[in-house]
Amino acid sequence: MRKAKLGAAAAILSLAVTACGTGGSDLKPAADGAVGSKIGNCDVPADVAGTGPVKGDVNGTIAFQTTNLKSDFGDFFTPLIQSFEKAHPGVTVNWVDDPGDAQFTTRLVTEAQSCTLPDVVNLNQITADALSKNGFLMDWDVKVPDSSKPFIPSIWNSIKSTTGAHDVLPWYWGPNIQTFNTDLAKQAGLDPAGMPTTVMGRMDAAEKVSKATGGKAYGFFANPDYWEHLPNEWVQMKVKVMADDGKSFAFASDPNALAWTQQMAKLYQEGALPKDTLASDDDPSKLYAAGQLLYGSENASFLRYVKQNAPNLYPKTGVAPYTDDALGFAPFSGQLIGVPVTSKHAAAAVAFAQYLTNAENQLAWCKDPKVVIFPSTQASLSDPFFSSPAADDPLGQARKVAAAEAAKSVYVPDPFSDAETKVIAGEIQLAMQGKESAATALKNAQDRADKILQNAS
Amino acid sequence: MFGIFPFANTVVLSFTNAKPLGGAARNVGLRNYTEMFHDPDFWTAVKNSVEYALVVVPLMVMLPLMLAVLVSKKIPGIGFFRTAFYLPVLASIVVVGFSWSWMLGENGMINTLLKDLHLTGRPIEFLTDPHLLLLSAMAMTVWKGQGWYMVIYLAALGNVPKELYEAAEMDGAGAIRKFFSVTIPGVRLTMAIVGTLTAIGSLRVFTEIFILGGPTGGPGGQARTLPFYIRDAALDPETGNLGYGSAISVALFVLTVGLTLLGLWLSRGKEGTR
Repeated sequence: MRKAKLGAAAAILSLAVTACGTGGSDLKPAADGAVGSKIGNCDVPADVAGTGPVKGDVNGTIAFQTTNLKSDFGDFFTPLIQSFEKAHPGVTVNWVDDPGDAQFTTRLVTEAQSCTLPDVVNLNQITADALSKNGFLMDWDVKVPDSSKPFIPSIWNSIKSTTGAHDVLPWYWGPNIQTFNTDLAKQAGLDPAGMPTTVMGRMDAAEKVSKATGGKAYGFFANPDYWEHLPNEWVQMKVKVMADDGKSFAFASDPNALAWTQQMAKLYQEGALPKDTLASDDDPSKLYAAGQLLYGSENASFLRYVKQNAPNLYPKTGVAPYTDDALGFAPFSGQLIGVPVTSKHAAAAVAFAQYLTNAENQLAWCKDPKVVIFPSTQASLSDPFFSSPAADDPLGQARKVAAAEAAKSVYVPDPFSDAETKVIAGEIQLAMQGKESAATALKNAQDRADKILQNAS
Repeated sequence: MFGIFPFANTVVLSFTNAKPLGGAARNVGLRNYTEMFHDPDFWTAVKNSVEYALVVVPLMVMLPLMLAVLVSKKIPGIGFFRTAFYLPVLASIVVVGFSWSWMLGENGMINTLLKDLHLTGRPIEFLTDPHLLLLSAMAMTVWKGQGWYMVIYLAALGNVPKELYEAAEMDGAGAIRKFFSVTIPGVRLTMAIVGTLTAIGSLRVFTEIFILGGPTGGPGGQARTLPFYIRDAALDPETGNLGYGSAISVALFVLTVGLTLLGLWLSRGKEGTR
């Protein structure tokens, strides 16, 4: 009996040793885009393996995963999918919709581990980078030559993964713009037609609004972990994030990062930023709709929220180009489409991904009144819908502003992983509360981010 | 198989440098454990988790019992109160979290009330002070969970012999004396089970801290519990260290077993002294 128990324990431990990442091949994508016959513990079909383009016929059942689109856009995507299936009678597309919550990346990582990634998958940048670094995504340059043709060149050329490959197709994107409450701007002595165009200028405006309203209104959302602060504002200010050798962080020595942190701390302690938002997972929408924030979200879709939830504030909402700081342009940040190398029907997956992202279908979706998004394809961007919007309301202005920015917009990779952003933001939160000096917070943040980087390498 | 295999796998992973997206993991011996014992963030998380259990467990053992005693009375309209106390159990933790977040905010209901009553000069930082944030999360856990344990106690109270209450009354015992001398001994086993379950639940708290304290676990991550820290250390797809996260998971397991055994030992000791 005792031997049997020992045997069972040994069997369990043996099974454990061979599962969940302790076995399998080393996950490094090949420099030439070649794909081996295995990735991790997953088999790569013969149609994808090797160095040449994807082989095989366009048929089979493929899974298409979007992120939180089904409830609002089912009436757009369902006929779109049916149309594809009609044109390709051998293909069935199973549309699944991930809620896109905080566990989105974890779920996809689990699916990658268990070889069950969807054939065509809507990704954000962080998840795409993680899958790409480990060789799970197909390199479009190698596997589907000429796939770059429809896309805006500045976006396509900059959308390479950290391995230098084009592992994703750019899909829709929400242009970064400035939105603001014109009443509060006037009250603070700011000119709505000439709002600040630098990050530090926005901070000065926040201080003015707080003072002018006796602390009843605030500048913007406080949490440094919020994407509009980190990494976006450091990217705009061209903070030197990494050391020259790329093996450690260097932002603690950057004067712009120090000035930014000091100013955030000053604003927070003066009451120019809402206290509750220091660590909140929320976004500025509700506070803005309540008339308490000078600046709204930098995502143009936010204007739709204002139109629906604060119709009185909507006509008083101003729109301006994104902060033209040291970087000089608004970076592209959008949704991506990937096809995993493990797809059993890769030819069908590729055909559907290209169909989904083609100029015609992207433009059709952008014209849906429920969205304020932009296409990544050159042909659809030239449409008068963007350059000469019919309405001159904030949404129309946003389309116009973003269309002017689109041609020079490039994709700027997030310099931090999610975990790194959190420890950096955490230390800055302590500086904002006055528990640490700005310099100490940045030094501690750098040490902690370095530790994460070293553990990962 | 579904319980033992993942556990064994976690133990094995804790001796490796495995990454979330797999690949060839290397055995690193005891390095993850050595690092863990020298990691101040780990000890902050241990402190927060233990504090959470020490506050929540006694409240979750006693409050639902008192509620159960109250609603077990056969008086008109008591069904409404039973339902009202149980309703939070049915609500989504996310919805509850956002409601509490709204109530506890700088301009939320509680701060407004305190200000209107001139009890505070400035808003209390329920959501940005790490200690108050933890206490707020504990209060939310108790509020949401007590209805569930109230139902368990209601079933247990039905098994306490009525004769014991009658005998106590004949001896002149009042309501409080009956509660301590008849009810508590009568449901002692249920109390031990509730204590064990809530101790395990308290050590697994994540959502309450995430919703009230945000994705960093409060300012500076100072309100992070062990499950929160495991997520941060292990699950980032780019820089996560599954081996290190597994080592912390093993520590959490040891802590859970330790607290559970302590609870069982304490309840057994009391029974022996009866």
